[in-house]
Amino acid sequence: MRARRKKRGGVWLTLLPLYLFTLVFVAGPLVYMLVLSFQTRAEVWGVIHEFTTDNYQNILQPVYLNTFLESFRLAIVSTLLICAIGYPFGYFMAKLSPVWKGRVMMLLMIPFWTSSLIRLYGWIIIFRANGTLDKLLMGLGLTDSPLKLLYTYPAVVVGMVYALLQFMILAVYSSAEKLDWSLVEAARDLGATPLKAFLTVTLPLTLPGLLSGVILTFIPSMGLFFIADILGGNKVVLVGSLIQDQLMKAHNWPFAAALSVVLMVLTSLMISLYKRVTHTTELEGLL
Amino acid sequence: MKKILAFALCLALALAALAGCAGTSSSAAGNGPAGSAPGSAPADSGSAPGSAELNLYTWEGMFPQEVLDAFTAETGIKINYSSFDTDETMLAKLETANGGDYDVVIADDYIVETAIAEGLVMPLDKSLIPNFGNINPAYQGQFFDPDDAYTVPYGSGVQTIVYDPSLVDLEIKGYADLWDASLKGSVGVTSNFRVMNGMALKIAGESYNTNELAAIDAAGAKLAELAPNIRLIKYDNLQDDLLSGEVSACVMYTSQVTMACLANPELKVVYPSEGVGFGIMAQFVPVNAPHADAAHAFIDYILRPEVSKQCFEFMGYYCTNKAADALIEAEYRAFLTLPEDLDTGKMEMIQNISAEAMEAHTRVWTEFRQACGQ
Amino acid sequence: MKNRTRLPNLYLGLIIVILYLPIVLVVLYSFNESKISSVWSGFSLRWYETLFRDRAMFEALGNSLVLALSASLGAAAVGTLGAYGFTKVQLRTKSAVEYLSMLPIMIPEIILGMVFMAFFSLLGLPFGMTTLILAHTTFCIPYVYMLVKARLVGMDPSLAEAARDLGAGEARVFFDITLPLLAPAILSGMLLSFAMSLDDVIISIFVTGVNVNTLPIKVYTQIKTGVTPEINALCTLMLGATLLLVVLSNVLGKVGKPKAGGDPIKPAPKRDKKEEHS
Repeated sequence: MRARRKKRGGVWLTLLPLYLFTLVFVAGPLVYMLVLSFQTRAEVWGVIHEFTTDNYQNILQPVYLNTFLESFRLAIVSTLLICAIGYPFGYFMAKLSPVWKGRVMMLLMIPFWTSSLIRLYGWIIIFRANGTLDKLLMGLGLTDSPLKLLYTYPAVVVGMVYALLQFMILAVYSSAEKLDWSLVEAARDLGATPLKAFLTVTLPLTLPGLLSGVILTFIPSMGLFFIADILGGNKVVLVGSLIQDQLMKAHNWPFAAALSVVLMVLTSLMISLYKRVTHTTELEGLL
Repeated sequence: MKKILAFALCLALALAALAGCAGTSSSAAGNGPAGSAPGSAPADSGSAPGSAELNLYTWEGMFPQEVLDAFTAETGIKINYSSFDTDETMLAKLETANGGDYDVVIADDYIVETAIAEGLVMPLDKSLIPNFGNINPAYQGQFFDPDDAYTVPYGSGVQTIVYDPSLVDLEIKGYADLWDASLKGSVGVTSNFRVMNGMALKIAGESYNTNELAAIDAAGAKLAELAPNIRLIKYDNLQDDLLSGEVSACVMYTSQVTMACLANPELKVVYPSEGVGFGIMAQFVPVNAPHADAAHAFIDYILRPEVSKQCFEFMGYYCTNKAADALIEAEYRAFLTLPEDLDTGKMEMIQNISAEAMEAHTRVWTEFRQACGQ
Repeated sequence: MKNRTRLPNLYLGLIIVILYLPIVLVVLYSFNESKISSVWSGFSLRWYETLFRDRAMFEALGNSLVLALSASLGAAAVGTLGAYGFTKVQLRTKSAVEYLSMLPIMIPEIILGMVFMAFFSLLGLPFGMTTLILAHTTFCIPYVYMLVKARLVGMDPSLAEAARDLGAGEARVFFDITLPLLAPAILSGMLLSFAMSLDDVIISIFVTGVNVNTLPIKVYTQIKTGVTPEINALCTLMLGATLLLVVLSNVLGKVGKPKAGGDPIKPAPKRDKKEEHS
């Protein structure tokens, strides 16, 4: 046993940076947030070190509960759409020749190296009354009056999908890319229909990638409130936006911390529920 | 994959080159003018040689580059311009730095009051600011600095309604007109909840700064009735939506009003009949500012009438320098100076209120936004 | 396996076209005369002139790129090593640390920013590039970790075992076998990290110092006076430069390539090794 451990010394070293970063830069903020959420706000600025559970009770007001519901609704809708669009993309991308894989990957990433605010402005130009989309649709004779799509719920969903799609694609791609296609061919040779071969061979093998993708899109989608603010005209109230308001406008840091804690707990629950339902836990998933 | 590697190498090379460029250009900018104007920096003599610098902390885009460059050319003081997004970020950073790091900060009135209360602001040495007398007294002696001991105002914002008469059938005179049913789905408002809840408070004849929860709740109920008219709520570039016809009436910030009206002179600007709210941005020197002398020199420089003129025309905020008023070009004058017939008795600033009142405001505001999304 | 139809390629093409749609409009509007983005008032190079006079903007761009590169390299090293390490040892703290390491994407950015600020100040670190790199590396780690982990799961262990049977040491196996196999995932993770870092504003504002501006900070803090189309011009230039680099690397790749369509993942470890030694 001891000899084995010694041999594994190098492995311990590989884990050290992750442990260090996690303990110092993640556990620290987490503890701080938890402590803060049980404290009392000062009258104008700052925090008084007085224990209270008021911040959590405050969340139970209908207006704030609604905000949580709204956030989850948007996150689920966006994640489902991203799966539907991103999974086939990542899957097809993995089947490309190596040269094209590289090209497509660059093509995917380049847009995301420009400011996200600027990309949202691009969508504003598209969605605006008499903007690009209206002109296109009216030119094709599909509609005869401006759609007024900007500052509506669909515009927000488009923005969310646009902002997070590449996370899903890359996650699916990196797990589909290592897929042994001969397995699929074997299934086909044994008489499986393409659909059956996909469902019994490809899908289970790419499920870990899909899981990573869901985590990488669902979690951030809970926080991307600025998309709802810019493309939704601030009319879709998300928890992230509420937290921002509480911190930066109302100066109620403890309440903002409490909101964050609840948000994190609920998000974690959603993820573990997702895993339970899809049985990805057996694939040594996360959390 | 090989190509991506090659690409990454190219990128790394380009980065290294760029970083090198940035490094040399900034040091050159620091050295050149410093040599050309020795000794002209007012009270720099006693301090260390590294003090020919000034750490300016405010929003981005508050000064035209020419003004900053001219200051550096004249005094040899290099300006490091850092920016923040919200007043609160600024205060949090300033607190962490213990009132140090920065030399001149420009922020909104209410946060300046808090900063002074927290002991983070240095009293100004007016003997170093000979142009102090240029300040428009209308913007002095306000709640955040009643004795003008700590601050010099830099621009003021007045909350006005702007509308496009070609799209609106009624003549808008005050906030109450925004509730008119004919404006369904065509009003854009700023996302500052004190300003927005304040509209409803003003209609009810209340003060912006009331601490009475019943009054705030009543204002919330009134505001909820406005929801069907609201097309969008946002902080930045609201003028774009007014100009593109996405909305036909707006409650927005002064710089946005200026931009909108310059682009479309047909737009109407309304000083609401219920009362006019205004805010002041103020310059102050943090208590442990590393280059306090340079800070005073900068504040004095900005107070020169011809410099102020440049700044306010660039920013599009109300001019707080009386000596500069006369220099403002005619095309800007209507937006940068208050109308002469305005009843200044009905003007009110938004101030800090009790924690409970603030809670009520945020709750009411969230309810309003949710109602707008229905 | 050959694609039986062109449908998949059409699909890929369509999505990519949609991805580029807003970008194309940004490029177009960078040539707009008006300061108002909703009004097209004619072709003009005005914003490019403004941009080229704006030294501070280029300095910020330089800072952003250096920061994004450092953070994505740092995250690649920590994330890859961590994900690999966890496949080798069973630790009781594993699931806890795994969960914790995901949290930076779950904790709202403002809170992370505020805590980072308080924390760095406690450590006495001077605010500036160092603190920026530390903070960005932290929130980039989950992206690399997730993608590498997804690839490690179910990876054929027989190659590594074979190497070990042939007498290769643990380090040798890692660098010669595992790392090349992981390269696509590491690269994807780095590209994501690079993009995330290049776009981060809230955390950056809190942890930066007096003299280090990044591009997003300059863009997002124009709140009082409005975002100017100058940034559209800059984005256009950045896109142009990136495309140029892509073409350049294509040419370079061709020169140094022994045979067409060679092993797609072989060259990657060279770079990763370098970064781990530093």
